[in-house]
Amino acid sequence: MSATSATTASPAQETVLECRGIERRFGGLVAVSGVDMTIDRGEIFGLVGPNGSGKTTLTNAITGFYPPNKGTIVFEGVDITGRRPHRIAALGVARTFQNLALFNGLTVLENIMLGRHIHMRPGVIRTALYWWLARPEEVANRAFCEEIIEFLQLESIRHELVDGLPIGLKKRVELARALAAEPRLLILDEPMAGMNQEEKEYMARFILDARAERGVSVLLIEHHMDVIIGICDRMLALNYGEMIGTGIPRDVIRDPRVVQAYIGDTHAH
Amino acid sequence: MFYRQSGIRHTDYVSDSKLFPIPADRNLLLLILLIALAAPFILAPFYVNSYILPWLIWTAAALGLNLVIGWAGQLHLGYAALMAVGAYTSVHAARFGIPWEGALLIGGALSAVIGSLFAFAALRVKGLYLALTTLALQFVMDWVLSHSPTITGGSHASLQAPTFRLLGQAITSDAGRYYVALGWCVLVTIFLLNLRRTGLGRALVAVREKDYAAAILGVNSFLYKIIAFATSAFIAGISGGILVVCYYFLVTPEQFTVAVSIQLLAMVIVGGLASIIGTYLGVGLILLAPGVVNRLFGALAGYFDLRFSPETFAHIPNAVYGALIIVFLIIEPMGLGKIYRNIRDYLLVWPFDQLKK
Repeated sequence: MSATSATTASPAQETVLECRGIERRFGGLVAVSGVDMTIDRGEIFGLVGPNGSGKTTLTNAITGFYPPNKGTIVFEGVDITGRRPHRIAALGVARTFQNLALFNGLTVLENIMLGRHIHMRPGVIRTALYWWLARPEEVANRAFCEEIIEFLQLESIRHELVDGLPIGLKKRVELARALAAEPRLLILDEPMAGMNQEEKEYMARFILDARAERGVSVLLIEHHMDVIIGICDRMLALNYGEMIGTGIPRDVIRDPRVVQAYIGDTHAH
Repeated sequence: MFYRQSGIRHTDYVSDSKLFPIPADRNLLLLILLIALAAPFILAPFYVNSYILPWLIWTAAALGLNLVIGWAGQLHLGYAALMAVGAYTSVHAARFGIPWEGALLIGGALSAVIGSLFAFAALRVKGLYLALTTLALQFVMDWVLSHSPTITGGSHASLQAPTFRLLGQAITSDAGRYYVALGWCVLVTIFLLNLRRTGLGRALVAVREKDYAAAILGVNSFLYKIIAFATSAFIAGISGGILVVCYYFLVTPEQFTVAVSIQLLAMVIVGGLASIIGTYLGVGLILLAPGVVNRLFGALAGYFDLRFSPETFAHIPNAVYGALIIVFLIIEPMGLGKIYRNIRDYLLVWPFDQLKK
């Protein structure tokens, strides 16, 4: 999966997301501080760091769950610092969660249809007069969701409840739901946690295809270094909430500070 | 065998989003609807007036409550208060001379306004705290009614509903009132059936299940909770108005006390959260079981020539009724709707049980 990684050398670099001097504290604990990060359009950007290094806190700051105490976050030229999560989502930022956040009482299709929420205008009158007001919208969005379902090869399970699916498929459904929103920035929080090698390769392929076919920029949080090296254009390594390295993956992972953070002093080679 | 599924192929999205993808379900429903339409002609008036009519109206009301509790996942203990708002508003409006169609709508609208204004404040807290706050709505309404003779109708605290007219037609017959109740109940049912396949229904379930995941999809959970409260209050208001004009004929504060709110909650929980058929069954059990148990018990006592003191005779049916609720909830905590679902799922593949999922 390594040879396919695209280079960053596209002529006009357009910034999708820019974080400047992000700091987030929980009481006395500084979870993230002084983090700068820019993601260009069409880029797959890796975010790594040991457990508790602030990766998820940073994504929660971007998506509005824990607004940063300091710093600014700009998405496509719009300052989104401190906006509510549903407003940020409506601008075109989608994400998946480390511990899955699917709606277990709904089917795969209904979950993916929820991804279309920001493109629909659901309401009471529309529901009451379904046949006249809601059906055209539902059918059009269903057609879009079916494209995503085909793209992620979920056809056979579309009417099944999410609850009973194996974790690999659940992760794929969550990716489908995020893609259904047609985001310009997709944040994937450990999409390959708990997967075997084959499932990982499938997921990596889906991420690359999503960029190629749907033009999303991706912020990828991942512990598997082979994935990061394989598909990320650039990356950022965090430790104790601070930046310890950023740049091209092959360079960053050789950085002594990154090696130390991940493997420790005594085993450094 | 009962639900033949072979040969049913949905080839476009419209047919795939039918309310009842399996024709057998739809046919069963049509049969029940046909029986419901014929009920005034085939059943004794006593059964229609004192069992089926209140059952329909209370079902419409309980479906509205299920929208808040079952779909949006917000506990609501002040539902009867909103029914009272609708009942009093529409009766006053009708006495003022507004036609009943308008009066009922005004009742529903005012109920929706009060319900959503209240929700605006109450929804800042969650779970049990919300439950207690909604209970406050009930007590405030009880207090207002017991302290404002202008609303409740003077010293007797009862207010006669004017003659019921719809579309210029005076509705005075039992059958007419029955059809109004049936029509309203069918309308509410259709709304909730549609909720299963629209963005609104999905958004409400999203808010109920994981509000942070709903937020990341762009769902404003506060807004959708308010929508759920307002819509259910509207249903409550109109149901309250219809209950008075079709069944009670006069409105008093005792018709909408906290006990009624609890009873409605019991109907929803026994029936099953977010289950439409379950709400029908739950209302049936809570509303009709006491009478049925009572009569059954009386008949049994007469048959075996048992003699009880009047007190025992009054209490045993109540105990049996309470035990019945417990038994049903132990058998299936998801409610009567789930029991129906289990039976249907069993019949779906019978006699090939090994196909069961």
